[in-house]
Amino acid sequence: MNHFALTIVGRDRPGIVSQVTEILFNQGCNLADSSCSILGGQFTMILILGHPEFTSRESFGEAFKPLEDADLTVALRVLKPGGEIRPQIEGDICMISVYGADKPGIVYHVAQVLGEKQVNITDLNTKLVGTEERPVYVMVIEAVLPEGVEEEDVNTWLAPTRDELQVDITVRTIPTVEL
Amino acid sequence: MAVRSILIYPDPILKQVADPVEAVDESAVAVIQDLVDTMVDSGHSVGIAAPQIGVLRRVLVVDVSKSKLGKSNNHGLLEMVNPEIIEKSGSKIMREGCMSIPDYTGNVTRAEHIVVEFTNRNGQLRVIEASGFEAVAIQHELDHLDGLLFLDRVSSLKTDLYRRKSK
Repeated sequence: MNHFALTIVGRDRPGIVSQVTEILFNQGCNLADSSCSILGGQFTMILILGHPEFTSRESFGEAFKPLEDADLTVALRVLKPGGEIRPQIEGDICMISVYGADKPGIVYHVAQVLGEKQVNITDLNTKLVGTEERPVYVMVIEAVLPEGVEEEDVNTWLAPTRDELQVDITVRTIPTVEL
Repeated sequence: MAVRSILIYPDPILKQVADPVEAVDESAVAVIQDLVDTMVDSGHSVGIAAPQIGVLRRVLVVDVSKSKLGKSNNHGLLEMVNPEIIEKSGSKIMREGCMSIPDYTGNVTRAEHIVVEFTNRNGQLRVIEASGFEAVAIQHELDHLDGLLFLDRVSSLKTDLYRRKSK
């Protein structure tokens, strides 16, 4: 089985998922992990898929043409063997909420601190909420902490960013339990 | 008595509602003991419900006293027949895993404090107040009696954020 990463972006409307997955089903693709969401007015799809015979972009032929004709942007990445396997990331899971009056650099400055400290971001979502006059930026990060790092450490590291950007930041670890 | 094998999803038994136990007789006590033996044998487990060993009766056992998160706040080994939550308050998110769904965990919000009524191994009605990890474990196991898995409770942060905005 060869694996591919497929991304599709286009103006949101009903029927996109159906049109895309019909093509993939008819091509004989197996869908694995995927994430599809509305971002702004755009519907975005990111899919990891496998195919028993296909090896390259060319294998799909003109299969995606109907999507492009429907004004969707399609990009396909051929994965190297093993590229579809999620690595086992050991460590405590930590949720970080950041929100405040919208201004440039919120994502960058928070991510910079986390990157420097080897905190692995596993999920990140941002949303512009509030009103047009008073836009509020909200970011929620899920990250895995390196061994020996506690919730309080992350709080301490982010304190200067909190003051500089005038945003609220809360950090909380989520214990993983086997029941 | 016996260590039983644990059913793994998609075994259909895991999605069925278990029947109440009419009387805590020999057969009910045998189920309790099998659950305890199976839980202890699995090493890392803090609880197990009867449907997980293929028995569709409302019986569960929980013991968080040996786990890091539960050792300071617990009732030791709890053996519950026909458990029912009669009060709940607060909320707590934990990333739950389940022996019946290997290799997957998900964030689940549950009540932080619960009052639960049940019949014990000796047929006596008991009411206890549980909180924290013990409360989460009881709620997780009680869900098994109703054919619910933690996958039925998972909510993504994306969805939460989206819902709040669309109000």
